[in-house]
Amino acid sequence: MGHVDRAREFVRDESRTKWHDESLWFVRAKRDEAADTVPDWEALRDEAATIKRDALSRLPDLWRQFETAATEAGAVVHWARDAEEHNQIVLNLLEERGFRRVVKSKSMLTEECGLNPFLEARGIEIIDTDLGERIVQLRNERPSHIVMPAIHLKRSEVGKLFEKEMGAPVGLDDPDALTALARQDLRKRFLAAEAGITGVNFAVAETGSFVVVTNEGNADLGTALPSLHIACVGLEKIIPAPGDLAPFLRLLARSATGQPISAYTSHFRGPREAEDIESPAPAMHIVIVDNGRSDLLAQPSFRDALACIRCGACLNTCPVYRRSGGHSYGTTIPGPIGSVLEPSRDPKAHAELPHACTLCGSCTDVCPVRVPLHHQLLTWRAHLAEGGHHPTRRRVAFGLAGRLFAHPRAYEILTKAGRRVARRLPAAWLDRLTSPWTEARTLPPIPARSFREQMRARERQATRGPR
Amino acid sequence: MSARDQILAALTRHPAPPVEPARSESRPEMPANPWSVLEKRLAQNGGRLVHSHSGEWIDSVKWSCEFAELTHVYVATNVPEPSPTPPASQLPATAQLSTLTSRGVGATAKAMRDLEPLEVTVLYADFAVAENGAVWHVPASPLERTAALLAEHLIVLVPASSLVATLHHAYERIALAETRFGWFLSGPSKTADIEQALVLGAHGPRTMQLVALES
Repeated sequence: MGHVDRAREFVRDESRTKWHDESLWFVRAKRDEAADTVPDWEALRDEAATIKRDALSRLPDLWRQFETAATEAGAVVHWARDAEEHNQIVLNLLEERGFRRVVKSKSMLTEECGLNPFLEARGIEIIDTDLGERIVQLRNERPSHIVMPAIHLKRSEVGKLFEKEMGAPVGLDDPDALTALARQDLRKRFLAAEAGITGVNFAVAETGSFVVVTNEGNADLGTALPSLHIACVGLEKIIPAPGDLAPFLRLLARSATGQPISAYTSHFRGPREAEDIESPAPAMHIVIVDNGRSDLLAQPSFRDALACIRCGACLNTCPVYRRSGGHSYGTTIPGPIGSVLEPSRDPKAHAELPHACTLCGSCTDVCPVRVPLHHQLLTWRAHLAEGGHHPTRRRVAFGLAGRLFAHPRAYEILTKAGRRVARRLPAAWLDRLTSPWTEARTLPPIPARSFREQMRARERQATRGPR
Repeated sequence: MSARDQILAALTRHPAPPVEPARSESRPEMPANPWSVLEKRLAQNGGRLVHSHSGEWIDSVKWSCEFAELTHVYVATNVPEPSPTPPASQLPATAQLSTLTSRGVGATAKAMRDLEPLEVTVLYADFAVAENGAVWHVPASPLERTAALLAEHLIVLVPASSLVATLHHAYERIALAETRFGWFLSGPSKTADIEQALVLGAHGPRTMQLVALES
């Protein structure tokens, strides 16, 4: 099943589609309001975009610098070429300490690596602590949005889930009450956890620090109590110096949810000090992950996508995402940025995604780090066509169209004949015959004469014209 | 070759072209009424700003329950003692910081997990940021950091004179290389993960009050 089929499934429920669309547009509108309060917004975008591109041009130097500084601060740095290596490193860290209870805060990287199922299969309890992630974890789903993982669910669905999982009273659907229940349940798990896993929003090369941003404070609570903190970071997350954090943090929350800043912006540098006679002593391990990022860096047309700071603004604004839901993409990261990133991993599996786009360019307009998303999506279409990843029907159709467009005379004759036939067919037949485009639309009436013919007629009239 | 060396080699195979960062020289200046801007931004994040003279902050705070009934309170060691002590008639009999601290579990907690259950935590922050309603705080100990997260209600004091316009100005004041742990805090712990409905108190404090201390 591809994006089209899953999207078709999603839009079957019209009221849900409308609700989903409006929820996301609401967030997009808040983003606009927040951006309007910042007088130097466009300059900030330039600054953030160029800092990232500078960093991408010297990743080896920056990561070596980070490694040295973080090691000095007492952290242990690991390198993982792919998802398996990453998962194995995390597993080893837990197993060598005999740890079985892990809390995790939101991280798209561990999602990408499939860390949860990997650890669960080896007898480790791993609990997602971000409320939205916890909800989708309990439902055995993946997040449908990178910032709002459960945006596809209604409160009544969350209520039913909590009824089953946390003993919520039947019919409870008040977000305050549901959150309070989850808080109680998760507080126990925070207190019992032996290790906390977090993602990383920004790694700072100069100081070996990293920044984790949350609204719930779950990354903080998850690392404040357990003795072991494992931070998993993708190669693209590095920036050169502490001062560089400012433009990104000014852009991030405003772009993501329209907030002036998130509630918790935590700066870690090495493990925490041992409190009294703590045992075992606090430890921090940082796992730097490639998993396809160096391949993406090697592709000039797409490497800019590595500048992405995962704010989700492109999802919120995308007319296709809003109306088809995150799960329709069938990927870890949905929406415009997902449609750019995922085909680089597996072009065959995700060849459809760059077509889940109207090329309206709204994603590019809102991107805080100026990733030229819709240009990249268009470029992907060409790349995928050349790589033979288009379905046969499209390949044949486009091949014929290409040849036809190259011969104007043949084009004119054929379309003239086509119009004659088409005008005699009932509209319903025509819609069925043409393309998926007419599944939810009707073709406009077919004119008797082509545009060229109409122009020629006009020109004749003009030269004859009344004297 | 180790994973590390392989990754570093892979990154040099097709390097991206060098780019000169367009670091802006001009930053937004301090607004004319910075504390009212901050108040608005903090309110957007679910927090509340109060102004107070440093000796009277205990009075300016909106307590979640009867002050006299609070039993589980953590007060950071750098929180200034109300001084000069206001006349007893103006305060509830027990509203003295010293009484608070002596009653607080924080004063006796040996391990961080012993902090539970915690009603109120009081912190003292370095400075505030006008543009986003955040304060920069470096916990004196892991215990203090944990107390800030486990409490039902958070009170943060900050000198009214310590205010910067934007995060750029903030990072000029922060020595990150010497900071094991530090954070910007703005508002209580919150979530909107259920149908975009804002709920305060996702995991940590349900309320957050920022007290701007006039000297």
